[in-house]
Formats: sequence, structure tokens, C-alpha cells
Amino acid sequence: MRNLRINIKWKILIGYFLIICCVGTSILVVSNRISSLQLEIETITSRDIEIHNLITTLRYNAVSMETSQRGFVITGTEIYLEPYTRGKAEWEANYNTLYQYLSDDPSSRKSLEEIKITIQNWISEAGEPTIAMRKANNTQGIIDFFNEDTGKQQVDDLRTQLETLRQKEITSTRDHILDLKNRNDMLIISLYLMLIIVSIISFIIVSYVSGTIVKTIKDVVKTISEIASSSGDLSTRIKVNTRDEIKDLAEATNHLLSNLNDQYWIQEKVAEVATMNQGINDIPTLAKSFLTKLAPMLDAAYGVFYIRTGTGDQQRLVKSASYAAFGDEAGHASFRLGEGLIGQAALEKRTFLLNAAPDHKVSLQTGLGKLEPKSILIIPFEFEGKVEAIVEFASVESFTSQHLKLLEQLESHFGVAINNVQGRMEVERLLSESQVLTEELQTQTEELQTQSEELQMQQEEMRMTTEHLEEQNLFAEQKTKELEKAKEELETYSEQLRRSSQYKSNFLANMSHELRTPLNSILILSQMLAENENNTLNSDEAGYAKVIHTSGNDLLALIDDILDLSKVEAGKMILTMDEVNISEIPEHMHLLFNPVADNKNLSFDIHVDANVPPVLYTDGQRLQQILKNLLSNAIKFTETGSVAMNIQNADPKDIQKYIPDQIDKHVLAISVSDTGIGIPLDKQQLIFEAFQQVDGETNRQYGGTGLGLSICNEFTKLLRGRIILDSTPDKGSVFTLFVPSLPDMEKEQLVARNQEVAAAVETKLEPPAVVSAPDIVDYTVSESTEYEGQLFKDKKILLVEDDSRNIFALVKALENKGMNVTVANNGKQCLEVMSKQTDFDLILMDIMMPIMDGYETMKAIRLDSAIKYTPIIALTAKAMKSDRDKCLEAGASDYISKPLNMDQLFSLMRVWLTKQVEH
Amino acid sequence: MNQASHEDTEGIDELSFSELEQIEIGLLLDGIYQVYGSDFRNYLRSSLRRRIQHRMNLEGLSTITSLLEKVLHVPGFIEKLQNDFSIKVTEMFRDPSFFSAFRSQVVPFLRDLPEIRIWHAGCATGEEVYSMAILLHEEGLLEKTKIYATDMNEQVIQSAKTGKFPLKRMQTFTKNYLQAGGSKEFSSYYTTDAEHAMFHASIKQNMMFAQHNLATDRSFNEFHVILCRNVLIYFDSQLQSRVHDLFFESLAAQGFLTLGNMESIVSLHKSQYEDVNTSERIFRKIIV
Repeated sequence: MRNLRINIKWKILIGYFLIICCVGTSILVVSNRISSLQLEIETITSRDIEIHNLITTLRYNAVSMETSQRGFVITGTEIYLEPYTRGKAEWEANYNTLYQYLSDDPSSRKSLEEIKITIQNWISEAGEPTIAMRKANNTQGIIDFFNEDTGKQQVDDLRTQLETLRQKEITSTRDHILDLKNRNDMLIISLYLMLIIVSIISFIIVSYVSGTIVKTIKDVVKTISEIASSSGDLSTRIKVNTRDEIKDLAEATNHLLSNLNDQYWIQEKVAEVATMNQGINDIPTLAKSFLTKLAPMLDAAYGVFYIRTGTGDQQRLVKSASYAAFGDEAGHASFRLGEGLIGQAALEKRTFLLNAAPDHKVSLQTGLGKLEPKSILIIPFEFEGKVEAIVEFASVESFTSQHLKLLEQLESHFGVAINNVQGRMEVERLLSESQVLTEELQTQTEELQTQSEELQMQQEEMRMTTEHLEEQNLFAEQKTKELEKAKEELETYSEQLRRSSQYKSNFLANMSHELRTPLNSILILSQMLAENENNTLNSDEAGYAKVIHTSGNDLLALIDDILDLSKVEAGKMILTMDEVNISEIPEHMHLLFNPVADNKNLSFDIHVDANVPPVLYTDGQRLQQILKNLLSNAIKFTETGSVAMNIQNADPKDIQKYIPDQIDKHVLAISVSDTGIGIPLDKQQLIFEAFQQVDGETNRQYGGTGLGLSICNEFTKLLRGRIILDSTPDKGSVFTLFVPSLPDMEKEQLVARNQEVAAAVETKLEPPAVVSAPDIVDYTVSESTEYEGQLFKDKKILLVEDDSRNIFALVKALENKGMNVTVANNGKQCLEVMSKQTDFDLILMDIMMPIMDGYETMKAIRLDSAIKYTPIIALTAKAMKSDRDKCLEAGASDYISKPLNMDQLFSLMRVWLTKQVEH
Repeated sequence: MNQASHEDTEGIDELSFSELEQIEIGLLLDGIYQVYGSDFRNYLRSSLRRRIQHRMNLEGLSTITSLLEKVLHVPGFIEKLQNDFSIKVTEMFRDPSFFSAFRSQVVPFLRDLPEIRIWHAGCATGEEVYSMAILLHEEGLLEKTKIYATDMNEQVIQSAKTGKFPLKRMQTFTKNYLQAGGSKEFSSYYTTDAEHAMFHASIKQNMMFAQHNLATDRSFNEFHVILCRNVLIYFDSQLQSRVHDLFFESLAAQGFLTLGNMESIVSLHKSQYEDVNTSERIFRKIIV
């Protein structure tokens, strides 16, 4: 039964057939019901009518018998008796008929039997006796009888009984009719019921039939769309449980799918193998991964990969990888073309598929034992018609056509892949070779460089030695002459020197005196005028006199400053070391500065720490001068707020930091703080240099020469101390003076400035331990000075600058170092100078100049072949990157920004005046 | 000199002569390694051969074996030879374009680090270390940077520590500095004496110099930048890949490795780095 095929046509036919059956059955049932109802109606109508008639007839018989009996009795005519006789004959027949009808109804039957008895009684008691009496003319008897008249009573009873029966039967008929009506209704209801049931059955059948068809179709569609969807698992198959045309369709589709799946599998594997090939750069890896990849795809249990190497007759197929090979059984190491199946496959470029090769030597090693392969496959891979590789697979199963198809597909791809990898290997090899060569080249370059450097050094040394020797020769010759001459000269010079030094001192002293004398008179006289005791001057004139007096005072201060500074610079400063009483300082300062501070509404406080020792060994006058300068500056640059002085012992850390060579001394830290305009960070170094204030504007606004701080600084150095500045613009400044107590120093001492300054520089560069030994410092200084003399001596410097102040300062500084400085005031002059003289060692070039600026000048210089290699140092006003780039573009060798830091400038000049090692 | 040694060994044919030389070099290097612990065995032979020839020239020796003898028996001779072996070609801001690229392409990444550790492997006399410090100073990063500068040659380390460079090379350095995009005045970083420019202590503050041999020593920290320029060219491929292992191990995630402009990362490590600037040989470790 299960194998029976029920197609869709049959399903539909069976469905319809079932529905028709249902409808037929219901029609049959209904018509049957209707005919039985009909019958019943007929039965009921005829029987009941008969019964009614019989009852009426019976009554009629009884009535007609009585009437006839009476008529006869009265008349005695026989004619009258006839109805009686007929009635007597008929009633019993009628009765029996009626009895039969009512036999099934006991109560009616009983009534009928009573009626019969009544009739019989009437006949026997009234009818017959009276008729007999009449026949016998027994009138008396008749009269007696009628007097009694039992007959009438009986007839009345009969009538009543019949009427009762008739009523009863009428009721029964009415019941029947009602019953019929009910049944009729029932029939209608059952008719509708039938309709409903048939409809339901039909619906069920229809839905079942259509359901079986549609469900299968839906299943098929669902499966197909699932397969078609993105996830697309082609291995899904359409399942159909029915056995109809849809199953045919599903089977066809499944077939298509498995075809597609096979196709897809092949493509997928091909793609897998192709992607695996990417990124592999050597044949063994490629071969290994190819086997590892492919063997599971082919269900192969063993695989060997042979790659073709060599050309022409030397071509061999060399094993380069194996899969699941065991020990030496991994196949021959190599084959010649045509040698063995491998060689043959390569020669013929054909695939060998050998099934059931029981004698094949290969056995597959498993953990438990050995397996004999059932099928062997040898495939050549070609590229451009040349066999590149042969792969052999063995399997315990047979290889399927799908496997072969896959290999067929792979053949071309993999051939290309092998070729690619070989190409890549070649490229890689060449690349690494070239890399090795490049590196080798670089090492050689560097070695050469080292060697050339060494050579150059050697040459340089040799040249130097030669020069030195020549010089020495020359020197030796001249020496004798010169020595004598020098001896004389030296004597003269020393005399001259002594005298000139005397002159200078005298000049300074005179200068001081000469300047002070007229100033003194001016001061005194102007003061007198200003006091105006005689009232000879009006208020304006008195004011002028005051101005003259103040200006004179300022001039005096300025002269003092200049003298101080020049003394320091000339090394003529005399320090008078003595005990300085610290407690005197506040008093003195209050005395000096309270009026000025009050004048400006500034609060002015001096605080001395309790633990400050009372006495400090230093030059009290210089110390006071420093403090006065600091305080007067503080008050000068402070408009509102306060100025304070704080005297305390210096923190050892600060001593270590700022004046490490005085670490073992007692050091006092005196700080002067104000709430004034402050000093921007980039200017903080500058203000200690002579003639500097923060900027020109400050100069104009606050007056003063700007010498104060540089004098402070110089003095502090003389006192072996240091001034530290901590300042924030618009917040105020704190100048802290560190001054050591030097009880061991001679009472009076002429301090050479050069030594001091050099020592200060050394302190910055060298660790303190070295510096603490004074003779080492001296040695270093003298040597470096000597060298500097050599490096800078007689160097020809061209200074191109338009600002006379700068020219003055620079020329002075450079000439101090022994350089010959030529000055040009602008670019044009510079070029003019250079057209006459080309052997400058270095050019210092200002940028902002009238007539021809620095950029143009440098460009012009760089175009002139005679002078284009002369180093040019640009002096830029601002260290803006664009400025800088413009300088370099114009041909500057280096640049330094203004205001110039002389140390930096000298460093820079050393670099650009030193002969360079060339590569 | 080559000529001279050739004549001495006239009986031996060309091939065996060079073979013999190779054996002698091998013996020399083995000897140096066993006695002094310096391992030059994986240095590029061709370069070593030339350096050895150079030394033999200077000493007037005819065979490498006689050189070995001196190495083993003459006190102090080994230092000379070691000095020869370590090529000290370097200059400040060498390859200015590299420093310029470093400034624009590496510095932005360093800015976010709380602390920067830089390893300068094979720093020689320290020119490039000071260059890097100046660059970082100008970028405002020097404060939070620690520069570890190492070289296998103790002598050059000592020289590098001083921060003194001969005046006669300073013009080149200045030119390089300017080309490398230096933003300040180069002269503001040094003072000078008779023969040297001395760089300021502020530039030196975060530098640490130590003797370290790439051929034998291990990594000693994790770094954000490793500079090893024109060092690997003196190594053979085996030592090169050892050093690359060492660098890879020592680099922080996404750290930078910079090589000399003729050098490249050995193929084994190629995939672990991405190119930041191919022509300047700046690479960045990929997070794996």
C-alpha cells in the first residue's frame, strides 16, 4: 500500500467523489423521511375519518333502531320495523369494524365494549320485548313497558357514550396532527443539519487534498529559497513525503542541487587551494600545504609532490613534499622524465588513475598497523604546456569522478601558482642578493669614509708637523736676533706698560676728579639757587634750578657708575674686605629709601632673620652699592604695592646650585622683592649686561642708564657671590643676592676681572670639585686664552651693520679677541668692500639695513665666485622661523639672533673659523 | 698588503689561499671571543677582512695569524683592533631627511605617551644621540624622555658621554641641523673651547650611556623607539636576524624601529611591522 503512487489528479478525484457520496446519502435519507411522513399523513387521515364515520353510523343505527321500534310499536306496521331490523343487522358489523380500528387503544376499546353492551341490552330489554309485545298486541305490556321505559335510559346512555367516544377520537386525531407537525419540523431541522455536515465534510476533504498538495509545494519552495538565500547551503536536500508529481519535481531539483553542489565544491576547493597559494614564497612550503590541503579533499591517505627541476636533459622530478609518508617509504627521491609512472606522467602530461593496485609498494602507516591503498592517482601540473610538478595520491577508497574533476580544474591554477612561487623565489633571491650588495656597498662607503677621515687626519697631522718644523727653523733663526731685540724691547715695553698703566689710572682718577669738580660746583650752585633764600627767583626759575640740581645728581651717579664699571673692566677695582655689621644695613637703607618709597606711596620693609650672624666679611661698600642699586631699581619699577628686603642665611642647596665653589663658606641671601612691572623671561639674562634695559620704551619711561644691574652683577662676582632673578611680568621681581663671608681674604685686593669672569664660566661647565683648586682654573684659563688668541688672532672679520651702537660694541669685543674687523654700514658698502678685499674669514651680516638689506647682500655674495665660500653668520632681529628660513635661503651659513649673546657668538665664530674635515 | 701576503704564500693556489684566509679570520675571531669575550664571529666577513687588512697594513704584518699572535700576547692590542672593527662613521643629524621625517611622522605619536623610552643601539660617539635629544628638546618632549644609548665599544661610550665634538666637524653638523628642520639656533646648544664644541648639560640630562653588545647581550627594557642606523650592515644575516629578534622583543606595542637608509627588516619580521616612511626606513610594530 505504501508504495502505491497517488498523484494529484487522483487526489482531487477522490475528494470530489467523497463529496458527491455525502450529498447522495443525505438526499436519500431526506427523501426516505419525506415518503414515510407522507404515508403516515395518509394513514392518519383515512383511519381517523373512518373511525369518525363508524361512530356516527353506529349512533345512526342505534337511533334508527329506536325510532323504528317506536314507530312499530305505535303503528304496528311492519314497514316501520324495517329500519330496526336493518339496524340490528348492521350495527354489529359496524361495531366490529370500529373495534378493529380501536383495538390498539385499550381505553377506547373499553368504551366501545360498553357501547356494545348498552346496545345489546337495549335490544334485549327494550327493542325485542316491545316488538314482541306489539306483535302480540300486548298493548298493556307495551304501556307498562313505556311507563317504566328502561329503553330510553339506555338509548340516552348510548348517546352519551358515543359522544364521549367521538370526542375522544377527535382529540386523538388532533394529537396525531400535532405529532405530524412536529415530525415535519424535525425533518426540516435534520435537513439543515445534513447540509451543514455535508459542507463540513466537503471542506475537510477539500482542505486535506489541497493541503497535501500545497504543503509539499511550499516545502519545496521553502527549501529552494533557503538554498538560494545568502547562506546557501547547497548540501540541503528537498524532502518530500508524498508520492506525486511534486516529488518528481523535488527529485529533479535535488539532482540539480547535487550537481551544483559538486560544482560548487570543486570551485570552493579550487578557490581554497588558490588562496592557500597566496603568500607562499617557496616551493617546499607550497608543496607541503598543497598536499595537506588536497589530501583530505580527495580522501587520500598518502601523497607525494615532485617538482621539475633543471632544463633539457637534466630535467628531473624531485620530491619536495610528502603527506602521511612514513620513513623511507616516502617514495623515490627523484625521477627522470619517462622514468616510472611519475616520469611517464610528466612526459605524456597525462593523468594516471590506477584502481585496485594490490601490489603497490606503498603501505599506509597508521598507529595500529598498515593499510594497502586501493587506488592511486598521478597528476601532472602544467604551465604553458610544460609540466611543472607531478603529484601522486593514494587512497584506501576509490577516487571519485568528482575528485578527478577537481584535479582537472586545479591543474591550470596550480601550474600558474607554482610558476608564480618560483618567480617570487627568484625575485626574493635577487632582492636579498641586491640587499646584501647594497649593505656591502654601504659598509664599504663607511669604511672608505673612515679611511679617508683617517688619511685626512694623518695628512693634516703631517702638514701640521711640517709647518711646525718650518716655523721652528725660522723661529730658531730669528730667535737669537729677536731675543736680543726683544730683551731691549721688553725693557722698554715694561717701562711703557708701567707708565701707560699709570697714565690710565691717573687718567681715571683725573677724569673722576675733573668731572666731579665742575659738577660739584654745578650741584652746589644749583642747590643754592633752588633754595632761593633771597627770593630773587620766581617759582618757575626756582623749579629750573631744581631740575638742574637733580640732573646734575643723575649725571654724577652716572659718572660714578661708568667709573666703577671701567674700573672693574680695567681690573682696577679694589676690594676692601672688612667686617660688615648686618644690623646696620636696614637702618641705612631705611634712611636712604623711606623718603622715595613714601613719595611713591609704596610700603617698604626690611626683615632680618633672627639666626643671621651679626657680622659678614666682605667689602661693605660694594655690598651697599649692590643693595642700593637693587632697591632703587625695585622702587623705580614699582608703581603700586610694596618693596621689601629680606636678609637670611642661604639655603645650602641654593649655594650648591649657584655658587658651588663657596659651599664651605657662610653665605647670606639678601632678596629684594617688588610688585613692579617685572621682567619677561627672555630678557632676564640681558638686563645684567651693560646698557641694557628690558626695552627702549622702559628706558624712556623710567630713565636710567641700565648700568645699575651690570655693576651689581660685576660687584657680586668680585665678592664671589651671585645674583639670581625670579620675575613674572606684571607681577613683580625678586632679586636674590648670594654673598659669601670671606674672612680669609686679604684686606685689600686688586681683582683682575678676566680671571673672575673666566672662573664664573668654568663654574658653569665643570663639576665644582675640579674648580675648587684655584691653580687648575688659572691653568685652564690661560691655555684657553692662548688658544683663542691663535684661533681668533688676525682673523679678518667683515661686520655688516648699520647701528652704530652695535658696531661699537661688536668691534670692541672682536678686537679684544685679536680679530681685524672691517665695518660696512649696509649691503652695498659690504659688496664694495668685498670687491676690493676677498680674503675675509667670516662675515657677520645684519639683516635689517638701509639701501641694501642682508638677504640681498648674501644672495649677491653667494653669486660671486671669488667670495661665495666665505661663511656668513646672519644677525637676525627676531628668531622667527620664516626669518631664519629666509636667511638660510639667501645663503647664510648660520644665524644668531639679536640681542647677541657674546659667548654664543664666540662659540659660533669658533665653529665657523675652524677648518673642517671634509668627507 | 694583499699583494704581500699573496707572495708569501706563493705555493698555495688562489682558491686555497682565500680559504686559508677565511680559516685564519675564523681563528682570529674565535680567539678574540674566547679570550676577550667580544663576539665578532657573525660580523660581515668581507668588511672584517678589509678592517683586518687595514690593521695589518698599519702594523706591517703579513699574515692574519701574526695578527692573532699580537692580539693574544701584546697587551692593549685588542683595543686597537676592536676600535678598527667598530666603524664610527656618524655625524649629527646624519641624513637630515630622516630627522625631518622623524619630527613629522613619529613625534606626534610620542606626544601622548606619559614617558618616552628611546634606545639608540650602536650609538658610536653619540652624535645622533645628541641630535635626537636636541630634536626632542625642540619638540618639548625631552623632559619626559629617557634615551638609552649603547655601543659595544666602551671607549666610544666614554667619548659619547662627554658630549664633546670636534670643532672641525661642526659646520657639517650645523648644515645638517638646519636641513633637518631645527627650529632654534644650533649655536645655542653648545659652548666651545680650543678644539671642541661642548653640548649643554640640559641636553644631556636624560641620556644614559652603557656598553651593550648586540651580538651577545639581551634586551634590557621596553622601548617606544629603537634607533639602529647603519649598524646591521656590518652583521651577517644570522646576526641580523638575532638583532631583529632582540628589537622586536624590546619594542613596545606600536613602537618605532628606524634603520639606516640602506638597511631593511629581515623577511622573517617583515610582517610584524608596517611602513611609516619607506625611504627613511621608519617602521612601526603592528599589534598582533
